[in-house]
Amino acid sequence: MNRRHALRHIALISGGLALIPSCDFSKDDILAAYQNLKVTISQKALLGAISDTIIPAGEIKGALNLEVPDFILVMVNDCFTKENQDKFTAGLTAFPDYAQKTAGKKFESLTTKEKEELILNGTKLEGDDTPEGIEKGNIAYFLNSTKRFTIQGYMASEYIQTEIIPYSLIPGEYNGAVLITDLQKPRING
Amino acid sequence: MANLNIRSKQERTYQAIVIGSGISGSWAAKELCDLGVKTLMIERGRNVEHIKDYPTTNLLPYEFEHRGQIPQQIQDENPVISRCYAFREDAMHFFVKDTEHPYVQEKPFDWIRGYQVGGKSLLWARQVQRWSDFDFEGPARDGFAVDWPIRYKDIEKWYSHVEKFAGVSGNKDGLATLPDGEFLPGYELNVVEKYFAEQLKKNYGNDRHMISARCAHIHGNADYYAQQGRAMCQNRNLCQRGCPFGGYFSSNSSTIPWALKTGNLTMRPDAVVHSIIYDEEKGKATGVRIVDRLTKETEEFYADVIFLNAAALNSNLVLLNSTSNRFPNGLGNDNGLLGKYVAFHNYRAGVSAEYEGHAEYTTSGGRPTSGYFPRFRNVYKQETDFLRGYAAGFSAGRGVRTNTESVGMELKNNLLNPSEYGPWYVGSHMMGETIPKESNYVALDPNLKDEWGIPQLKISVDYDDNDEKMIKDYIEQMSEMFTKAGFTNIRTRDDKRAPGLDIHEMGGVRMGKDPKTSLLNANHQLHAVPNVYVTDGASMTSTSTQNPSLTYMAFAARAAHHAVAESKK
Repeated sequence: MNRRHALRHIALISGGLALIPSCDFSKDDILAAYQNLKVTISQKALLGAISDTIIPAGEIKGALNLEVPDFILVMVNDCFTKENQDKFTAGLTAFPDYAQKTAGKKFESLTTKEKEELILNGTKLEGDDTPEGIEKGNIAYFLNSTKRFTIQGYMASEYIQTEIIPYSLIPGEYNGAVLITDLQKPRING
Repeated sequence: MANLNIRSKQERTYQAIVIGSGISGSWAAKELCDLGVKTLMIERGRNVEHIKDYPTTNLLPYEFEHRGQIPQQIQDENPVISRCYAFREDAMHFFVKDTEHPYVQEKPFDWIRGYQVGGKSLLWARQVQRWSDFDFEGPARDGFAVDWPIRYKDIEKWYSHVEKFAGVSGNKDGLATLPDGEFLPGYELNVVEKYFAEQLKKNYGNDRHMISARCAHIHGNADYYAQQGRAMCQNRNLCQRGCPFGGYFSSNSSTIPWALKTGNLTMRPDAVVHSIIYDEEKGKATGVRIVDRLTKETEEFYADVIFLNAAALNSNLVLLNSTSNRFPNGLGNDNGLLGKYVAFHNYRAGVSAEYEGHAEYTTSGGRPTSGYFPRFRNVYKQETDFLRGYAAGFSAGRGVRTNTESVGMELKNNLLNPSEYGPWYVGSHMMGETIPKESNYVALDPNLKDEWGIPQLKISVDYDDNDEKMIKDYIEQMSEMFTKAGFTNIRTRDDKRAPGLDIHEMGGVRMGKDPKTSLLNANHQLHAVPNVYVTDGASMTSTSTQNPSLTYMAFAARAAHHAVAESKK
């Protein structure tokens, strides 16, 4: 529960030299908090940009304001099988090139509309057994997992559950026949 | 030194010892203490004090690092417990992990355990339906197991006794198959559940009923329960974390603090029972040998009467491991049947569907229970190609539908402004009676021991042809009832789960009239060692279909009063 806090303090180990010598991660520092993933600072920044495209800030805070990328990485690190972790990180690693090839620009340089389209189309990619197909499958897997955890991490955040749609620990006596027209807004928390 | 030993032995001597602090053990202890009996309660796990030791009870959803999910590594290391519906991030500290207490599965068996003061009473589903004579008479009528040595009239007043104290909410439904009890106001069925109950009447006459399930929650008479330090159920549905209100019955919130208040109860947690000590000269049990969970040191406690309430399979294990010259095959095991005729409840199948009607309604608030189908198969006479029948759970609910196809502002707006209700969702799961058989058994593994030097339990329990036929019938009948009620998109499942995951394992030390064919008499005493009582799931001669805990409570209370009456003779 304190990992996100710990992250702020120690964040980094020097990347890769001993662990994965032939990998270009050596240029980028690896985040120690997610020991199963070997995610770099720049990859986490990219994940932040993707999650913030999925749920952007506005009058109400967005995914990045609520540290949703940390939640995504915690879930993938702790709750995914090794196989799915590998698919997720492969998809994350392949995503910058995919953006460049598909949209002709770096992801960061795209307009909001273009980013949204790229992500939406990416979630619908269908993979196969060819090297290209495997990469497509990984990108789709990465984007769908990211979207799912962005929604979960955002909706189950302290901010949303206290300030926007308050969660009630004590939901009150049961009423088994409430007319929907009598309700102002559907209850979704507690 | 001799003097010291004598004093020490006196200090370790009580009038009664209760092995186990779960639902049945805490009831035995509470009754004994109320009757003035100096009682020692032995529990193999750590102490869990009401409220103080419920670390997650008031956490909000975002305070769980994985939002409730169990991390993959824990699941990989503990596949059995990870299959339990309640083994989630908020309650995982109350469950035994596979790695902590291994056992031998001769056939797949998911053994779900809670080793702490309070046992599984912290974790149970709190459903409390009485048995009737349709259940007690089952083995005699249908020719399996042995005849129960008791009938409903023997247990009726004890049901009332425990219901009143534990707090049971329910409606007076007037059904012969499910006798009414001492109820606090019942919980309401919702509009679609009521509709379904009416449809059953219309389509099946008076043969099939769906009622609001009786549950061990305080829903009225608050002043009475305040004497126990408990308050009304707040409909939180977070019961498995331990309830700070004491809104549902647990040993920790109810019977144990009550027994402690009498001044007659001594608790000894962290004490793994090795065996019950049998004195051949006296011809009775004289005490209990334990191994300290932490120091691994052996210690003995003594008493005139021993209650064994270690939970069904562990009570078998304790007796099997209590050997002497007189009982080389386990305490009270003259007929070789100890550990045999183990049975369980068949929870393999479920049926779900949607309902487009009553679209103008939804529900609000929470409730700790849902609907319940008492058994309707083979009740008055044998009418199918399988023996006995099944009860079933039933509930209807309605969710909010959020379109999550998009990304960006549109998705955000959809998430924060849910406006569209889905159809009503209805679901049911079966709770089938299984037939106890000699071939379904537990035994001590001849080689493997646990950390405390106690043999590991070997479990060999499986489904049979009767169970398979019952699953088929449940799916057919429930699908038909759903269809007749106008439910659509009906989906059926048989999840092929292993026995045990129902957490209703029973038998092995069955009651009966004849010492040649049973272990316990009508008062729950071992035929051969009458100062040992077994009043938990191990004592069950047959399983019927009801959630069994209420019956264990009533058995324990009844047996405790019997033991005290015997001691005064």
